[in-house]
Amino acid sequence: MSGGLDKLVDDIVRESRTRAEEIRKDGLAQVEDRIAGARAEATREADQITRNLRTECEAVVNRRVSQEKQKARLAYLAEKNRILSDVMKDVQARLLEFCRNDSSYRPFLLKSIAQGIDAIPSDRVKVALSEKDIRRYKGTKLLTDALSTMDTTKTAVLSELPLETTGGAVVASEDDKVRVDCTLEARLELTKPQLLAEISKILFPS
Amino acid sequence: MSSPEIMNKIVEAEKEGRQILDQTSKEISELKRDVPNRIASMRQDILQKATKRRESALADAEKTGAEEAKRISLESKKQLDSISRIPSAKRRQAVDRAIELLLS
Repeated sequence: MSGGLDKLVDDIVRESRTRAEEIRKDGLAQVEDRIAGARAEATREADQITRNLRTECEAVVNRRVSQEKQKARLAYLAEKNRILSDVMKDVQARLLEFCRNDSSYRPFLLKSIAQGIDAIPSDRVKVALSEKDIRRYKGTKLLTDALSTMDTTKTAVLSELPLETTGGAVVASEDDKVRVDCTLEARLELTKPQLLAEISKILFPS
Repeated sequence: MSSPEIMNKIVEAEKEGRQILDQTSKEISELKRDVPNRIASMRQDILQKATKRRESALADAEKTGAEEAKRISLESKKQLDSISRIPSAKRRQAVDRAIELLLS
């Protein structure tokens, strides 16, 4: 009788232990599942953080490089412009020398006056020169010589009003309605893009 | 053994069995209660590592960019030095060409 009771008591306790083990197993499995799910989600988020890292790093390098290239380009252009500006000053100085040399300047002036006269659609024209040229050429056959280089019946008179110019002439119709600027400054302004391109070609061959 | 003693033994056994189950349930409940903390800690660890990796890679990229920028800057300086030292003959040639174009 006592042996049967002991077995019954053992059975009751064993059954509880078995059930407790099942509860523990289930509970641990649930805990592990939740942790594994959370780990997978966190890993996905971490992957998202590092997914575009290569592109981001390339962008960082490219930004620094392009900033420096831009800086270098601007410095190069500034230096180039400084040199071109210096050379243009030399050109202007050379033009002053050119205007002082009568043997080279007079033919140029004659040609400029002739071009101006030709461009004015009027029979009588006025030719304006710088004060220095008026003093230099007044009373000479400057206008006659200019007209003689052209096949024209036009007449020209020298204007008494001096021009502010290094050299060259401004030719106008008698009523001043049409004016042709043949001064060196006008030529310089007109040809500046071409001059700068030519100077650059010589100084900065690529 | 009398019947009450037998009953008493059985009741005691059932009581012990319940205690075992209660103890186990309590342990599991405590484990489950701690899960949010464990998850938060693990998540922080994983994301912190990823963030550190990213920061370190970006810092390396900054360094690479700075080195490349330095190389470009030196190259640019050389180029500027080179164009600043234009031979006077070449400069004269440029002025001659400009005068030629201007007066032609």
